[in-house]
Amino acid sequence: MAVSGRRKSVIFFITLGSFLVALAIALNVGWILLNWRQVALLVLGIIFFMVIIVGVVLNTTFLIREIRRNEQHDAFINAVTHELKTPLASIRLYLETLKTRNPSEAQRENFYDIMLADSDRLLHTVEQVLRAGHAGHSRRRLNPTIIDIGEMVRECLDLTRIRYNLGPETLHYGESMDGERARVAGDADELRAAVSNLLDNANKYSDKEVNVSVEVSTLDEKRVAVRIADRGIGIPSAQLRRIFKRFYRAPGLFMSRVKGTGLGLFIVRSVVEKHGGRVFAESAGLGQGSTFTIQLPRA
Amino acid sequence: MSGVLVVEDEKHLAEGLRFNLEAEGYTVDIVHDGEAALSLLLDEQRPYDAIVLDIMLPGKDGFTVASELRTAGQFVPVLMLTARGRPEDVLRGFESGADDYLQKPFELSVLMARLNALIRRREWFQKDRDGVPAVGREETPANPPEIFQFDGRTIDFDNLELRTPSQTVRLTLMEAGLLRYLIEHEGKVVSRKAMLEEVWGLNEDTDTRAIDNFIVRLRKYIEKEPSQPRHLLTVRGVGYRFVAGPFAPK
Repeated sequence: MAVSGRRKSVIFFITLGSFLVALAIALNVGWILLNWRQVALLVLGIIFFMVIIVGVVLNTTFLIREIRRNEQHDAFINAVTHELKTPLASIRLYLETLKTRNPSEAQRENFYDIMLADSDRLLHTVEQVLRAGHAGHSRRRLNPTIIDIGEMVRECLDLTRIRYNLGPETLHYGESMDGERARVAGDADELRAAVSNLLDNANKYSDKEVNVSVEVSTLDEKRVAVRIADRGIGIPSAQLRRIFKRFYRAPGLFMSRVKGTGLGLFIVRSVVEKHGGRVFAESAGLGQGSTFTIQLPRA
Repeated sequence: MSGVLVVEDEKHLAEGLRFNLEAEGYTVDIVHDGEAALSLLLDEQRPYDAIVLDIMLPGKDGFTVASELRTAGQFVPVLMLTARGRPEDVLRGFESGADDYLQKPFELSVLMARLNALIRRREWFQKDRDGVPAVGREETPANPPEIFQFDGRTIDFDNLELRTPSQTVRLTLMEAGLLRYLIEHEGKVVSRKAMLEEVWGLNEDTDTRAIDNFIVRLRKYIEKEPSQPRHLLTVRGVGYRFVAGPFAPK
C-alpha cells in the first residue's frame, strides 16, 4: 500500500517535472519566434527562461532523489526491525519453552545451540548498525596496529566457515606475495569487519552452491589487494557502483529472497577508504558471479 | 486433532513453534515461503484448522498470501505473526484477510491462547454447518447465536456469514467486528478514530483513511448500489453512520 502510493508519487513528480520542462521550452521557442526583433529583451528573456528550466530540472531531480532516499530508508527500517526482532523472538520462544515444557536432554542441548546462534545474529546486526553509524564520521580516530593481512583474511575465512556451516571445499584461499609478507597499518577490528562482510555477501548471494575463492596478493611495493570472487548471482553493470551506497540494495527477484539491511558494503567502503584504500566490484552480469577487490596501502 | 500450518522462513522460530504446538496436541506442518503455503492450501486443498503466517517471507509476502487465500475462497483462520508492528502494517494485515495479528517477539502463552480462540471459533462454525444446533453442544459460547437482520440481509455474527437474497458472503473476524460496531451504534455517527480504537484496539496515530478500504468492502456486501449507499453512510470529515433502513425489524 505505502510502496505503491510512493511509486505513484514518483511517477507524478517525474511527469510534472517533464511537463514543466517541455512547457518552458515551448514557451521559450515560441517567444523567440515572436520577438526576435527585440534582441536585448530577447537575450535577457532567454537567460531568465534558461534559469527557470535549470531550476525546474534541478528541483525535479532533487525531489526524485529525496523520494528514493525515503524509500530506501523505509526498507532499511523494516529490515533492521526484522533483523533485531526475529532473533529476539526466537530466543524468547526457546526460553519460554525451556521454562514451561519439559524437553529431553538432547532437545535442551539443541535449544541452547539455537539460542546461541540467535544471540550471535543479534550481536552481528547491532554491530553492523553501530559501525555504519560511526562510518559516517570520517574523522573518528583509527586504532592502528601493524596487521598481517593474509593471516587476518584466513581468520575471517575460518569464522565464516563456522558461521555458515560450510564445508572445506567451498572457500578457497590463495596468496601471491613478492617475497615479503603483506602488512597493513590499520584497525584490525574494522578491517576484519570489512572482509567478513564481503565473505558474508559471497555466501548469501550464492544461489545454489557456495564456491568462493579469496586471494591476497601484493600489487607492488605500495599496495596489497584482497580479491573475493564468488560464483553467485552476479551484479548488473549499472549497479556496480551504487551497491556501496548506504541503505542501497540492488532490486531483483533473488535479492528480495535474501534479507539484508543495505549496510554491509557501505561499511566495507568506509572502512577501506578510512585506511587510505579503495574497493570495487566486478561482475560479468546476472548469474555470472562477482568479484570484490579491496586495495590497501602496505605498511 | 487440530492441524496448524506454520508459514515462517526463519527456521529457528518455525521449529520452536512446532515443538510447542505439538506439545499442545496439534499436528504441525512447516513451509518456508508463501508459494509453498498457497500450493498446499489451494492446489492440494490440505485441510488445516489454522495458519500461522509470517509477513516478511521470501517471494510472495504474508499480505499477498492472505489475500490470495481469501480471493480463492479459502477461509481458514489466519494468525499473522510478524516483526512489523506499525499500526499501518497491522491494518494492512487485517485488510488482506488475517483474523488475528501478533507482533514478534511474542509471549508463548498469548500466541497459544489466540490460536486456540481462532480454532474454537472455526469448530463452532463447522459444527453449525454440519447440522448440530448452536445451542446445547459441549463448547457452547456464552451468548446465544447473534443474528442481525435488516433490509432483507442477515448477518450471522457467530458463523461470520452475511446472507443477502442473492448470495452468502463469508466475513473475516475483522469485517464482522467492524459491522458489529457500526450496528451497535446504529443511527449515530462514529469517527474513524473511534473505529480504529474500538475494533482494532489501535491507539496510536494511524492513518485513519485505512478504514475506508474496509468500508468499501462492507458496502459491496450490504448495499444494493455500493456507489449510492443507503445503509453505510459517509459523514463528511467525521466518519460513518450505519442506518438499518425502514425495513429493519426492531
